[in-house]
Amino acid sequence: MAHAATHDHHDHHGAPKGFFQRWVMSTNHKDIGTLYLIFSLTMFFIGGAFAMVIRAELFKPGLQLVQPYFFNEMTTMHALVMIFGAIMPSFVGLANWMIPLMVGAPDMALPRMNNLSFWIMPFAFILLLSTLFMPGGGPAGGWTMYPPLSLQGESIAYTIFAVHLMGISSIMGAINIIATILNMRAPGMDLLKMPVFVWSWLITAFLLIAVMPVLAGAVTMLLTDKYFHTNFFNAAGGGDPVLFQHIFWFFGHPEVYIMILPAFGIISEIIPTFARKPIFGYRAMVFAIASIAFLSFIVWAHHMFAVGLPMGAEIFFMYATMLIAVPTGVKVFNWVSTMWGGSMTFETPMLFSIAFVILFTIGGFSGLMLALAPADFQYHDTYFVVAHFHYVLVTGAAFSIMAAAYYWLPKWSGNMYSETWGKIHFWSSVISVNVLFFPQHFLGLAGMPRRIPDYNVAFANFNMISSIGGFWFGASQLIFLGVIIHCVFFSKKKAADRSWEGAKGLEWTVPSPAPFHTFDVPPVIHDDELAHGNTEH
Amino acid sequence: MQQITDAGTEARRKRARRTAYILGGFAVGVFLLSIVQMLKV
Repeated sequence: MAHAATHDHHDHHGAPKGFFQRWVMSTNHKDIGTLYLIFSLTMFFIGGAFAMVIRAELFKPGLQLVQPYFFNEMTTMHALVMIFGAIMPSFVGLANWMIPLMVGAPDMALPRMNNLSFWIMPFAFILLLSTLFMPGGGPAGGWTMYPPLSLQGESIAYTIFAVHLMGISSIMGAINIIATILNMRAPGMDLLKMPVFVWSWLITAFLLIAVMPVLAGAVTMLLTDKYFHTNFFNAAGGGDPVLFQHIFWFFGHPEVYIMILPAFGIISEIIPTFARKPIFGYRAMVFAIASIAFLSFIVWAHHMFAVGLPMGAEIFFMYATMLIAVPTGVKVFNWVSTMWGGSMTFETPMLFSIAFVILFTIGGFSGLMLALAPADFQYHDTYFVVAHFHYVLVTGAAFSIMAAAYYWLPKWSGNMYSETWGKIHFWSSVISVNVLFFPQHFLGLAGMPRRIPDYNVAFANFNMISSIGGFWFGASQLIFLGVIIHCVFFSKKKAADRSWEGAKGLEWTVPSPAPFHTFDVPPVIHDDELAHGNTEH
Repeated sequence: MQQITDAGTEARRKRARRTAYILGGFAVGVFLLSIVQMLKV
């Protein structure tokens, strides 16, 4: 069916020959997806290098390697690069590659805007990273940019411009994704027949459009406070620094979900494939994602319990936050139910997905602990918080991206990766990531503050263990890089069109590697061909 | 195989552009709303 769809009258248009035309001027969703994925992998290693500096400094108590200001630059840049440069663009890259293939569209709805969305990103990050080499150094006030701390350096102007550029790129990407999903689906691909990954991105894109402009507003006011003598956040001039925290976290909490909802979608694709069963509770999964997205707008102040909120507000935000556990629990139970009784095999994507379900749930549980306002007074700004959000973002978001890379690499490259090395990468990562982050729970409960280059000797042992885990985890990712390079350029094992036995969905009906143009003629949708097509049962 | 005519494709792209304008307008609106504090300056 779909093979025929790729050999229509448009197929004589191959990929452009020249490098500049092919990659810089590209309007092809697959090429732009590849660019996003290469960019995010590069940022992953740059942000990872910053993390290595942090863990090296914290290997022993006392100042070892770097000055405190540089340490603060590293924590700030690590977060900005990983959030805006690694996690978010990799999900956009996956969306670019897979959404048109999954809904039977020939390309993204707005291909030239797609090109612009990507090419803004390298300039934004060159601008941001260049601040490290400027007199006075880069931003060091934390990725949250709380005033007045963040306004002390001169690099804040560059940081704010970079954040504006990233925001514009994200908003354009999100608009493109929504326009594609709502308008470009093949005939018969009803909304409730779409793969969960597509649903998760549709909802994420709405979140992005709703909150990225709020971040833009917050940093614009920071800029005017710094350079135009306004006093939005300056208490001496009648402003309120806590106002910034409200505005920032109104963006910041949905942002957390922007980084995890597409991960939910990926896991919901992979587990049914390797359990050889349709996803359990398709509609409940979609509804749970929408519920989590809605709740993300009414929980922002749980990041601010310690600033002195009114009691009523603390109680509201505490209970609203705990409510998120309900739809999240639905998802975890549905993933487990999908596996239950399935004919499971444990290829690398499935291993990462199972690790995701277990370790993300640990991050979720520590999140519930942090949601308790009275307990949060103890946990706030300690390493417990660091442990919590790294379980959510590394063993959650980053593991899902690795799972997705292994799952779809055969479709992208036409070659199978080395399963042996994939599994070595998995086991090395999953053990080291726990050595890295689990002791940080204990450090936080014992009272070690976050964002400090030196600490009490009482925290020495767990810090040393955590740093060893950090170096191990960092080194493990070089295996990941090696597996990808080997798969794309050197692998002799060709991938079948349907690369995995249990895989369903339109993306597996096109050849591997996916041709430059696909679905110029829309495919006929057969319910039994779709992973979640038969939603009546 | 279901054929979509060129006219159909063009109609879908036109709808997609309209969707993009609506969403872009919404994003600009949210940005302006978030800096409404500036009106008090």
